[in-house]
Amino acid sequence: MDTAARLQLWPHGLFFLVLFLVMAPLLFLVLGSFSTARLPGDFSLSTMGVANYFKVYSDPGTYELLTNTVIYVAGSVALGISLAFSLAWLVERTNMPGKIWVYAGVPMTLAVPGMLQAMAWVLLLSPRIGMVNRILKDLFGPETPPINIYSLGGMIFLEGLRLVPTAFLMLVPLLRSMDPALEEAAAISGARPISAARKITFRLLAPGLVAVMIYQAMTALEVFEIPGILGLPAGIYVFSTKIYAILRSATFLPVYGQANALAMVYLVLAVVTTYFYSRMISRAERYTIITGKGYRPRQLDLRGWRYPALGLALLFLFLAVVLPFLVFLYTSFLPYLQAPSLAALSGLTLKNYRLLIEYGEVGRALTNTLVMVLVTATATTLLSFFVSLVVVRSSFWGRRLLDQLAFMPHAIPGIVMGIAFFWLFLKLDFLPLYGTIWAMSIGFTVSFLSYGTRSMNAALLQIHKELEEAAYVSGAAPRRMMWRIFFPLMLPTLAGVWIWVILHAVRVAGIPLMLYEGPSNQVLAILIWNMWDEGYVGAVAAIGNLLMISLLLLTVLVRVAGFRRHAVQLGGA
Amino acid sequence: MHYQTERGSVHAVRGIGLEVKPGQFYTLLGPSGCGKTTTLRCVAGLERPQEGEIRIGSDLVFSSARGLSIPPYKRDIGMVFQSYAIWPHMTVFENVAFPLREMKRRLSQREIRERVHQALSLVQLIGLEDRPAPFLSGGQQQRLALARALVREPRVLLLDEPLSNLDAKLREETRFELRDLVKRLGITTLYVTHDQLEALTMSDVVAVMDQGRIVQEAPPVEIYQSPRERFVANFIGLTNFLEGQVKRVPTGNGQLGEVETPSGLLQCILPEGVAAGETVVIVVRPEDVNLLAGPACASADSRSDPGKNVLQGRVEAVIFMGDTLECQVGVGGKRMRVKLHPSSTVAAGEEIRLELPARRCRALRT
Repeated sequence: MDTAARLQLWPHGLFFLVLFLVMAPLLFLVLGSFSTARLPGDFSLSTMGVANYFKVYSDPGTYELLTNTVIYVAGSVALGISLAFSLAWLVERTNMPGKIWVYAGVPMTLAVPGMLQAMAWVLLLSPRIGMVNRILKDLFGPETPPINIYSLGGMIFLEGLRLVPTAFLMLVPLLRSMDPALEEAAAISGARPISAARKITFRLLAPGLVAVMIYQAMTALEVFEIPGILGLPAGIYVFSTKIYAILRSATFLPVYGQANALAMVYLVLAVVTTYFYSRMISRAERYTIITGKGYRPRQLDLRGWRYPALGLALLFLFLAVVLPFLVFLYTSFLPYLQAPSLAALSGLTLKNYRLLIEYGEVGRALTNTLVMVLVTATATTLLSFFVSLVVVRSSFWGRRLLDQLAFMPHAIPGIVMGIAFFWLFLKLDFLPLYGTIWAMSIGFTVSFLSYGTRSMNAALLQIHKELEEAAYVSGAAPRRMMWRIFFPLMLPTLAGVWIWVILHAVRVAGIPLMLYEGPSNQVLAILIWNMWDEGYVGAVAAIGNLLMISLLLLTVLVRVAGFRRHAVQLGGA
Repeated sequence: MHYQTERGSVHAVRGIGLEVKPGQFYTLLGPSGCGKTTTLRCVAGLERPQEGEIRIGSDLVFSSARGLSIPPYKRDIGMVFQSYAIWPHMTVFENVAFPLREMKRRLSQREIRERVHQALSLVQLIGLEDRPAPFLSGGQQQRLALARALVREPRVLLLDEPLSNLDAKLREETRFELRDLVKRLGITTLYVTHDQLEALTMSDVVAVMDQGRIVQEAPPVEIYQSPRERFVANFIGLTNFLEGQVKRVPTGNGQLGEVETPSGLLQCILPEGVAAGETVVIVVRPEDVNLLAGPACASADSRSDPGKNVLQGRVEAVIFMGDTLECQVGVGGKRMRVKLHPSSTVAAGEEIRLELPARRCRALRT
């Protein structure tokens, strides 16, 4: 091929770019964990040592931390998976009415940022100011023990709720793809329903279920917002919040090396879980003889339980989306926090929204967020597109390695990624990146790369090569083919990834919290965090309200784009 | 078209030379992996042979010696893919209009509409213009792909197993429709298939391919009746094979030779230039074997009458197949298949005599 030289050049460029973006921060993270200098800037090879590890891992506090983390992760995964499995089972395998509400509503809960959800529940269940606790006190007397959301139980409850939508979306196809003939064969072979469920249904579901659990455990482990809002004020630490506390505590001087040493746990866990996860996935795929034709599995007749079941499903939606939204809506119009009453309703005010305009940083933060989010979304979309193009379509020697590099950041939590980039930008001081929104954009782009490339890989694999060849033999030159066939077919995926990144970059706090330096790179997530810290509850409610409405609208947009892609898939060869 | 190709360490296709005459329906037939699709894709320009030359009409489109390779979009071809490759984001109309819109000469909207209409009426898809392409049945998609390939009135039509994704009934109907259509348009057609029935019923010339080379190239009747290699005989239709040694070579042209087989001495057509004593294999089709009426005589009888090519056997199984009755007959330790009329009264265990007409027995070198 005469274009061979050109074709080989840009995959190399891309390969080294991704290699640098993924490996450089991780390298500094590892090196930094051995640095005994107090500041990252003072780092040199002569001050290397294992002192940080010694300090961190000999501290009994670390083991309490480990216990907390295990309880928190196990608890929230157990709660989240049981809820999600029940919902998925109800909509797929029973004759519960109103399923469409669950199908449409559960993914909507993804739109509510974790930080805001946690704050809403604080407003409801804080022992001092929580509305529910106050109402309980009014009803049963002031000695009533309050329900305390600032606890491990509170964290498990909330994170459990937050795990539901993703788990639900993963479990529905699993349940749907079960061929009823497999169960019927068990019945004909003489197995009673219970025994058939145990020996056939559950066995077939097991690998998929375990894969979902591992995935959810990784998510719970990485999440910062929930333990940050609910655990930090009560001094209950898990790994992600402890790392944050070491770096950002107001009382002590930050010990950067120790934070890195602690973060190594994540790196090890990332490697281990990724290994087991991919093994589980491949085993689940081995069982996908069960997927195939669009049959409808047999449905269980719930009889009298049909409406109670729907009530339970709707209760989840109420707790996960409606309640936080109502709490914020209500709080945002209150002059000060109070339980709902006639008196409270008569005193509603726009004060909080006015405060948003007066609180000088809001405008700056909004502009920053907008620029940062748009740049991140565009960069992620383009980078993952080109990476996937090389991975799926080229014969480039490093394409598998490139694929793995792009997937790696998936297992690394935002907080850890944030520290890694923090070190990188401090060391690469010839690049004026530290303390800018561009630093956040780069950090986000790297951590969203895994999602982007997974989507693009799948989409590219779906575009049958013959669709392109048909354009060539129809007389279209390569550029025309790209413009008229390839690009239109990829558009839903490109748009889907772009919007997904916007939805996530706008609300995830991990990376911004680590790379935040001041008003010049303050973004919305940081602003809300800081305003909450300073006690501007009403203003947080106002801004959170606006944010939730825009995110819900964007989510609806994604769904619409998703439906279009589905129509295209129908025809793809 | 002449070319040779070499790909990677494995030869997908090698030393192939084939020539399709204008207006001819030419079929490449072979098992999967024999290189027939690679050959077709080389003609389309989707694949590049390492060596050789390809001409479409008088135009040289590929020549390794001159370093010439015309890209597919500049070749005067139309192609139907195995998956049909219907673009899912376009309507039926837009799919067919695409090749017209990509032409060098810009066509007016009216002309495009007319020619799309014409192409769609050829394949009987009129009335579906505005339907999104994914909402077509398999048969409709196949016809749409054909309309798209024909709309530019290309000099050569390339068809890559276009019927393999249709169900059996539809495939049978489409076979004749397709041949009718290309014959009516007088378009030169290169057809790739692994289905012998398609190849035999549709083509003017069939080229049987095996492991990257053309084994035999001939009209369907000749391919079926006079296979030149064991592979061809085995691949096309059901065949009985009888191994033996050449006893007598004919002196004049058109005379029959004799071969000694374990089942007896048989007269048959010998390959050219064969010498006495050489090992050959006799090929005889199940429907060419005659069941002789009357009760079986003593086995010595058939031996004493070699000129009649009659073998003694015992019916081992009778299988009713609807339009025929297939008998499996044990002859001298070998099992021969014989096709009979379904009204024949044969039963398993019966001793019978089989006549193998000498002109229908063809010896091949092994």
